[in-house]
Amino acid sequence: MILFSAATTPTFDVKRPQGLDFVLQNSPTPQRYLIETMPGGVALLDYNNDGLLDIFLVNGGKVGSPMRLPETFGRHDPRYWNRLYRQNRDGSFTDVTEAAGLADAGESNYGMGVAVADYDNDGYPDLYVTSYGKNILYHNNGDGTFTDVTAKAGVAASGWSVSAGFFDFNNDGNLDLFVTRYMEWETQHSKTCGGEWHTYCPPEEFPATSSILYRNRGDGTFEDVSQKSGIAAKKGRALGVAFADYDGDGFTDIFVANDGMQQFLFHNNGNGTFTERGLEAGAALSEDGRRLSGMGVVFQDYDNDGRPDIIVTELPREIYGVYHNDGNGSFSYRSLETGLGTLSSGSSGWGVGLEDFDNDGWKDLFVAQSHVLDNVEQIDPSLHYKELPLLALNHSGRFERGDSGIDTAEAGRGAAFGDLNNDGSIDVVMTTLSGSPQLYLNRGSKQHWLTLTLRGTRSNRDGYGARVQVNGQTRFATSAGSYESASDKRIHFGLGSAENAQVDILWPSGTKQTLKDVRVDQFLEVREPEQR
Amino acid sequence: MIPFFLSLCLLWQGGSTDALPHLQAGQQAEKNHHFDAAIAEFRKATEVDPTSVEGFVDLGQAYMEKGEFGNAISPLKYALELNSDLGAAHQLLGYALLAQGYSKEAIPHLEKSGEQSALGIAQIETGQLPDAVKNLEAALSKHPNDPDLLYYLGRATGLLSKQSIDTLLAAYPDSARAHQALAENYFVLRQMPQAEKEFQQALKLRPNTPQLHLELGEVYAGASQWDKAEEEFRTETKLQPGNAEAAYRLGNALLQQGKARPAKFELQRADWLLPNMPETLYALGKAAALEGDSATAQHAWTQLIGIERLSPLAAQAHFGLAGLYRKQGKTAEADRELQEFEKLQNSAPQEQPQK
Repeated sequence: MILFSAATTPTFDVKRPQGLDFVLQNSPTPQRYLIETMPGGVALLDYNNDGLLDIFLVNGGKVGSPMRLPETFGRHDPRYWNRLYRQNRDGSFTDVTEAAGLADAGESNYGMGVAVADYDNDGYPDLYVTSYGKNILYHNNGDGTFTDVTAKAGVAASGWSVSAGFFDFNNDGNLDLFVTRYMEWETQHSKTCGGEWHTYCPPEEFPATSSILYRNRGDGTFEDVSQKSGIAAKKGRALGVAFADYDGDGFTDIFVANDGMQQFLFHNNGNGTFTERGLEAGAALSEDGRRLSGMGVVFQDYDNDGRPDIIVTELPREIYGVYHNDGNGSFSYRSLETGLGTLSSGSSGWGVGLEDFDNDGWKDLFVAQSHVLDNVEQIDPSLHYKELPLLALNHSGRFERGDSGIDTAEAGRGAAFGDLNNDGSIDVVMTTLSGSPQLYLNRGSKQHWLTLTLRGTRSNRDGYGARVQVNGQTRFATSAGSYESASDKRIHFGLGSAENAQVDILWPSGTKQTLKDVRVDQFLEVREPEQR
Repeated sequence: MIPFFLSLCLLWQGGSTDALPHLQAGQQAEKNHHFDAAIAEFRKATEVDPTSVEGFVDLGQAYMEKGEFGNAISPLKYALELNSDLGAAHQLLGYALLAQGYSKEAIPHLEKSGEQSALGIAQIETGQLPDAVKNLEAALSKHPNDPDLLYYLGRATGLLSKQSIDTLLAAYPDSARAHQALAENYFVLRQMPQAEKEFQQALKLRPNTPQLHLELGEVYAGASQWDKAEEEFRTETKLQPGNAEAAYRLGNALLQQGKARPAKFELQRADWLLPNMPETLYALGKAAALEGDSATAQHAWTQLIGIERLSPLAAQAHFGLAGLYRKQGKTAEADRELQEFEKLQNSAPQEQPQK
């Protein structure tokens, strides 16, 4: 099947939409508390099911210098609230935080990231907000409001959570929750590093910790199965998480981006347990066997061979890791041959997405970039705190720098991807430390596209974990990945010059579904057959 | 170790018998590290017999052992007035003067006592750098790997190099070599934009100077500008086709851009020009693996491991081999290499980039 034709150059318009007045308050201090450089997440979700993507932004908090107990982080103050912005028909946004019941981010937490899913299969997307401190699960009531159900659900966690994501690890139709935790750290035992430069400390300075897996019981509550699943057996410094079934055994696996150590690939054994196989599978270290500063991650197929590959964003001099899925349960490191090595060797990457921005049939790469240290220029003039995001266009599996149209360097962190204006092209929202979210609206192309909304019946309602193939391309349904962020759950395919499409879906339930002669350039809801 | 306090083998002249008990008492006290008592006794000996060379030398030595180099100078000088041929007194005085910063005055005494290490150090201070290098090298040949001597020799050669460059910059500030020297200095200081500018100026003035393109290429490589680095390294390999480092650098720059085939070619050439260099072999293995030439990759990495069994590069070669075998479905071999890699990793923790 011929998929491709000459692509136009994708270029974003940098938009400052009316009403989107959020400022990420990370509160940098001379104390250099490590949390200050780590937020914040963004989610693209249609919380009111009006067909338009809305934006949820996680705020940091107020940090004292020095921090005194009790740690309140000022989250009762509206400046430090997380915010929900409802998109209006004219592309403007309205802050509906208070009306939605999301005001006041609570006690003793400093916000980090967000995960989105309809965990109770009621047709409305719910929010899980991670923090240094207590995490919060907001149930979407379906009437434009949310309720904090954390205590009832049993998912408050503790310590320092960063990214999180929903997936169905046991294929029971209920979305489970994975929460990455960074390290054993607290403000009272913080320290600075870098001698005279007075910098944030590297992760090795603090003990590693385990991530958390919550099993969804299907009754609105979750069970912490971290121990019995084997997840807690591996201590890491986890920042990013993404899900896909890498070995095609029908069970969704987990990739965890760890900072300053080997990456984890948790293979789902299909019996409620996981085995960490990163090293044996060739997805744990760099090509030279070096530990990586894994931050953001995407687990999708970049070379259209039908298998999910892994791309991990890192610190400068490490280059972003491309782990190509070789199909025998193992991966090979392809950062150099894909061209991503030269594009990333001087940059620090956080939020990341593999999306077909020019609709040419090949998924391109977008990375939110910025160094960890806000004074890095003093230490190494060749590095920069604020950076332009990376747009790398995919030409048959090789990445080349694209003209993003973005000319202002930012301290980028989280990034979420979705079609904000429903024009068939993928847009980006990127968070910036101490700044406003950047909305990069895709100018679009003349290529064709197809966007699917999965409606699981036997599987989870969102269809997360489904393998969706369209005209030879593959995507694994998820809103997780990137860094601390949740993307539009709709599944977008660029189709080049193709004028119709064949859609093949392998649902988490095992059901296979094929749709032939599907019209292109449309949003299509696909309902899982009730019976196989 | 530079001997700061020497045992004295003096040929003593005859002296007053009245001084002898004080000398003996002083030497006993000195042996017991009672330096104040020793100084008092030696002082009495020189008062009883103002011609006692032994008394003045012992007094000077006792002061030095106590760490009072300034107080040691007078008695030692007086001893030499009494007997100017006393080698041990010259040696002690030379050390005492050097310790007090009187390097110029120390030199004749250190010359007379044939003390090359201290002499070399004194000559560094007085700017007699070629002589300092000569003496320190001679001292180092007698005491190989002495850390103090290694340090001072490094300092002397560094200063000599700086002296030469300073002369160059003063006499020929607009010359290609002056710009090259400035660029190298900026490079060491990691001031890359300035280094680049100076190298380019040097090349403008003298386009085909060997080494200049190599050095400019390293500036670009340091900033991960691999395409520019490739260009410079390629020019250098044209100027110096026999330069193994230029071939290696070009190969590595190509490798960083994923250009596997030309990278492998250049790295094979580097290996031919200067065989068995671990860095070349490691990069050659990577380039070959990237190209899909498993045999060459396996050969290069195995050869490397044969040369450097325990180094970080050997660990990386084991890791590379594990990947190679994994791709070939040779699970047992892959696991074995991974074990070797982990063994070496555990014995040598890695450095992480600054976060």
